[in-house]
Amino acid sequence: MELFLYTALFSPLVGSLFAALFGASPKIKIAGIVPSALLGVSLFSSTMLLILVFTTDITLHVEMMTWIATGDLYIPFGFVVDQVSVVMMMVVTLVSTVVHVYAIGYMENDKGFNRFFSWLSAFVFSMMVLVMSDNFAGLFIGWEGVGLCSWGLIGFWYKKESATWAANEAFIMNRIADLAMLIGIFLVYWNTGTLQYYAAFTAMPSLDSAILVWMGIFLFIGAMGKSAQFPLHTWLADAMEGPTPVSALIHAATMVTAGVYLVVRASPLYDLIPSVGLFIASLGAFVALFAASMALVNRDMKRVIAYSTLSQLGYMFAAAGLGAYWVALFHLMAHAFFKALLFLGAGNVMHAMHDELDPFKMGGLNKVMKGTFVMMTVASVALAGIFPLAGFFSKDLILEVAFVENHYIIYSVLLFTAGLTAFYSFRLVALIFHGEERYKLFGIHPHEAHKFMLVAMSPLLLLAVIAGSFKMTYFEMVTKVLPELEYHIHHPITFWIMTIGTQLFVAGAILYAYKKYTSREIKVPDGTSKMENSFGYKLLINQYYIPYFYEEYLVKAYRELSDVLWTKVDQKVVDGTVDGIANILYNTGDTTRVMQSGNLSTMLKWMVAGTVALLSLAVVFGLAARYSGEIKIFLSGLGV
Amino acid sequence: MEIGLNHYLVLSTILFAIGLVGVMRRKNLLMLFFATEILLNAVNISFAAISHYYGDLTGQMFAFFVIAIAASEVAVGLGLLIVWHKKHNNIDLDNMSSMRG
Amino acid sequence: MLDHILSILVFFPALAGILGFVVNKNSIRSYGVAVATIEFGLAIWLWFAFDSNVSGMQFMEQIALVPAFGINYIVGVDGVSLFIVILAAFFTMIGIASLGEMKDIKNLIITLLFLQMTMVGVFVALDAIVFYLFWELSLVPMLYIIGAWGGPLRIYASVKFFLYTFAGSLVMLVGMLFMAYFYYQATGEWSFALLDWYRLILPESFQNWLFVAFFFGFAIKVPMFPFHTWLPYAHGQAPTIGSVILAAILLKMGTYAFIRFSLPLFPDASVYFMYPIAVLAIIMIIYTAMVAYAQKDIKQVVAYSSVSHMGVIILGTFALNVEGITGSIFLMIAHGVVSGALFFLVGVIYDRRHTKIMSEFGGLASVMPRYATIFGIMLMASVGLPLTINFIGEFLSLLGFYKQSHILTLLAGTAIIVGAIYMLSAYKKMFFGEVTHEENRNLPDVNKKELLALIPLTIITIWLGVYPKVLLEPINKSVEGIVTLMHEKSITQEAKLRIPNVNKDMGLITKPEREAH
Repeated sequence: MELFLYTALFSPLVGSLFAALFGASPKIKIAGIVPSALLGVSLFSSTMLLILVFTTDITLHVEMMTWIATGDLYIPFGFVVDQVSVVMMMVVTLVSTVVHVYAIGYMENDKGFNRFFSWLSAFVFSMMVLVMSDNFAGLFIGWEGVGLCSWGLIGFWYKKESATWAANEAFIMNRIADLAMLIGIFLVYWNTGTLQYYAAFTAMPSLDSAILVWMGIFLFIGAMGKSAQFPLHTWLADAMEGPTPVSALIHAATMVTAGVYLVVRASPLYDLIPSVGLFIASLGAFVALFAASMALVNRDMKRVIAYSTLSQLGYMFAAAGLGAYWVALFHLMAHAFFKALLFLGAGNVMHAMHDELDPFKMGGLNKVMKGTFVMMTVASVALAGIFPLAGFFSKDLILEVAFVENHYIIYSVLLFTAGLTAFYSFRLVALIFHGEERYKLFGIHPHEAHKFMLVAMSPLLLLAVIAGSFKMTYFEMVTKVLPELEYHIHHPITFWIMTIGTQLFVAGAILYAYKKYTSREIKVPDGTSKMENSFGYKLLINQYYIPYFYEEYLVKAYRELSDVLWTKVDQKVVDGTVDGIANILYNTGDTTRVMQSGNLSTMLKWMVAGTVALLSLAVVFGLAARYSGEIKIFLSGLGV
Repeated sequence: MEIGLNHYLVLSTILFAIGLVGVMRRKNLLMLFFATEILLNAVNISFAAISHYYGDLTGQMFAFFVIAIAASEVAVGLGLLIVWHKKHNNIDLDNMSSMRG
Repeated sequence: MLDHILSILVFFPALAGILGFVVNKNSIRSYGVAVATIEFGLAIWLWFAFDSNVSGMQFMEQIALVPAFGINYIVGVDGVSLFIVILAAFFTMIGIASLGEMKDIKNLIITLLFLQMTMVGVFVALDAIVFYLFWELSLVPMLYIIGAWGGPLRIYASVKFFLYTFAGSLVMLVGMLFMAYFYYQATGEWSFALLDWYRLILPESFQNWLFVAFFFGFAIKVPMFPFHTWLPYAHGQAPTIGSVILAAILLKMGTYAFIRFSLPLFPDASVYFMYPIAVLAIIMIIYTAMVAYAQKDIKQVVAYSSVSHMGVIILGTFALNVEGITGSIFLMIAHGVVSGALFFLVGVIYDRRHTKIMSEFGGLASVMPRYATIFGIMLMASVGLPLTINFIGEFLSLLGFYKQSHILTLLAGTAIIVGAIYMLSAYKKMFFGEVTHEENRNLPDVNKKELLALIPLTIITIWLGVYPKVLLEPINKSVEGIVTLMHEKSITQEAKLRIPNVNKDMGLITKPEREAH
């Protein structure tokens, strides 16, 4: 069985290295096919492991080799396949395989085809390390690895200024969070003496609660960076500069959920500190609403989906913060499927529209792109949480959790956000696929994507529809590791009112969006309408001015301060002092050299003066030594 | 009044002062040599006097050394002086500044 | 031969250098490569013969020089110095092998061989006077390299480099003499042998004064803030090979000396000065990283980044526990490899364009993809990505210091943020975007000779990042020895508390856990 573990883990790496061999050469199809096939192998191995874990409840734990060992510190390359990590492995390998196959078609005309697959497979490998490691340091390897690959993939089209800028922003912002994560890891090490999950979590209950709170906070800040929680969220929307398969895989399905995975993985820790948990849940609910509000007005198809991802991550954190780790993980899984589907659909649309991203310039595409239309609609329905699709089961569960745990504010925020989610999802669908064919104004001739790309997407379609029905099986499996908490609203009437109420609310939002955005009145906005000039719209379209604030007050300030430090402090003050001392010495020599006039009589005078000075010194010291007693008495008389 | 040690020492000091002033003030190289001789002889006087006072001959011996060294010094010095005078036709100190730093 | 391997390692390159004067100008390059390769082979042999289960000195040799004052030629190597010696041999080898065409190449190679003698000498010397001798001698070849083959400001830069470090060393020499005098007072015998000094317990006030005296010598060499300003000039003006050796090996002398002299000789003073030095280290990390961000010249970026990383090394050293010191020694090697490689890379582009200003480049990723890839790997190593060599060192250094102070570690940890900022923006300026300058459009990619230097460095960077155990084990062993010594020697309560008792800890916590796996 270890063989499966190693193949699941290392075949993406092999694929990546294989594609990297062709990194600098022109496009060659095999550089895409081999990594995809190897991912298939990885998916197969993960499935075998899932079956193994599910049927026998065995937790597979291997230690490949020692990584770092010094002093008391011992970190191995250890991997664990338990109920939680195997779920993540399935999600990661499944979505990655789909995305890889899809990308063979999507990237077919790109010069960097080989490079793309190298990065993409490297990402999958890092992600697998992240989820499979049995210790915090291993998690950190994967954590930074996915960050690196995300940098390479966001900035994949490196000739575009905005892409490279977004890549650097993502990397640096993640680094800020990584520092907190690192501090969290240090805290774990110095307090429990180990970084292995199992040993560390066993030692934690006996620790001081203040230390645990700090641990929890620092680790969570780390999670906030990867999962783009407020205030470290701006990079995610900008990351949409990357190719769309990247957005689907990294910035929707897998990497951004790493933060949720971390909280779930550290559930024994967060169970001990419910106050931090409540903070996580509140922040999650806030981000859910905050991101959804920005999605309402945005005119960039990919950014809307990115904000929706952000919002859904908020849901996951809300659940995890309230202690419902299995619910969070379940939503993570369901979300991965339908969000990846949505993104890949958006990729098809982009290709059809020649990289146009503004949905207002589309419309009526359902006639030419039937397959994509169906897929994106289903994905949106799932995202909105309509029965019986995946989103219904997972999202409804989060609402129930909030309700049962008596956090009514969180509950109402999340409920309201569910309505917003439905609205903006179908605003997008309506604008793209229905209504007037506005794209004709711009002389675009859309076409449907390759057949095999649609086929590649179909597993996601299937899962987006049926993932909800796995709920009970999944529940039984993961609760062997995670706290087993069932959330049932005790009163059946309350339950039904709530469920049906939520469904009606969401359905209403969908209908409203349809009605509003399929009408013939919709024109490409030109900045003159009344709504576009309203304060609320401006606030939302500018993302609450947060990116502006960061740019103006942090980035610029840092740059200016750096300049000042260099030109003023380093060159003038620090180096100036050093050169100043050297100059003083030099000038002293320069001024005193006139003494060396070469004139014998002057020099003789100096000689006499020197002799006299030395003699008088000798006399003074001689006298002082002789009369030291008297001098002391005299000085003490003066009160010195 | 008997001539004692102090008188010799006072004489020596006066001679030394004269020599010192001469060394500092004189611009003529030949005069400088004279001043140097006065300095040395001032020291010689005190050597001889103190030697006699203590009844120890070391001091007088030392005075002989000084005289010998002074003589050789003057010999060499005068030789150089003559060469210099032949070359530059003067022995003024102010013109000798090739050691200027 | 193995008994005298250290002396051979020290003097073989110098003797070969002298012989080099009679070698024909056309064959001097192959001669240099051959000598450096033999030296490297010997260094590797030393590694294989090295017993990593011994924490003390190995391959010791002793010859009396001035017996009256206890000055002896003593050399020896332990886990702390072993790898730096190997690194020095390695860098001289690939440095000579990858030398491009330049004037007076014969003199340059001979100078490099002399430099190698002094470098190896510093790291194996176990007698203070011999150590001082090599320490100062190392300035001379470097002065010559910068002054003779440098850029337009080379005279200023080389004189500054020489005088600045020389002035610091003099204070250190005074400290050494006083230390020997104190030893004489205490035991009635003169001795400059380091291992003798280790046994001496000094009163606290003496420790503080001596610590400060040594500190000046070491801190200028490191260079620590605010003594760092000679470094950017030296790097900016030095030829590629000079920068590489300077960054990879010469800077390590300072940090190495802290571990060899300051910590075991003055444990209480080390604890006493821990916080001030940590604050200086943090200023170094953040301040120089910001200055690096403001640079327009790529070589200056790398130069300032060196200072920033040295800050982490200092911090790890003054963690005063096994994790931190091991980490800082590892980071010395890591930084040597990575910054050496970065200077090589800068040299590659300088050879082609004769400029180092970043705005002159742009879009190089499409013109020179292999160059961009290697630069990218080194960049990520410099930023401290896991599974690269730098991460291990940084992680351990910071982890170690976290034991001493939480808040200072948090501040120092910003190294990973500010480091990413200047490195990524520099990379973006050079490699991303469209090719804007016509002359960049047809630049040749890295050639074979350059790959000869870069490929091994890349391999080491990743190999030691994944499998650092080969280095960590011997280093760890020696560091445990040092920390034990410090703990036992320390006299103040504070120091006993801050410096962990290694033996006790090891028996109780680590053993059972390792067996459990």
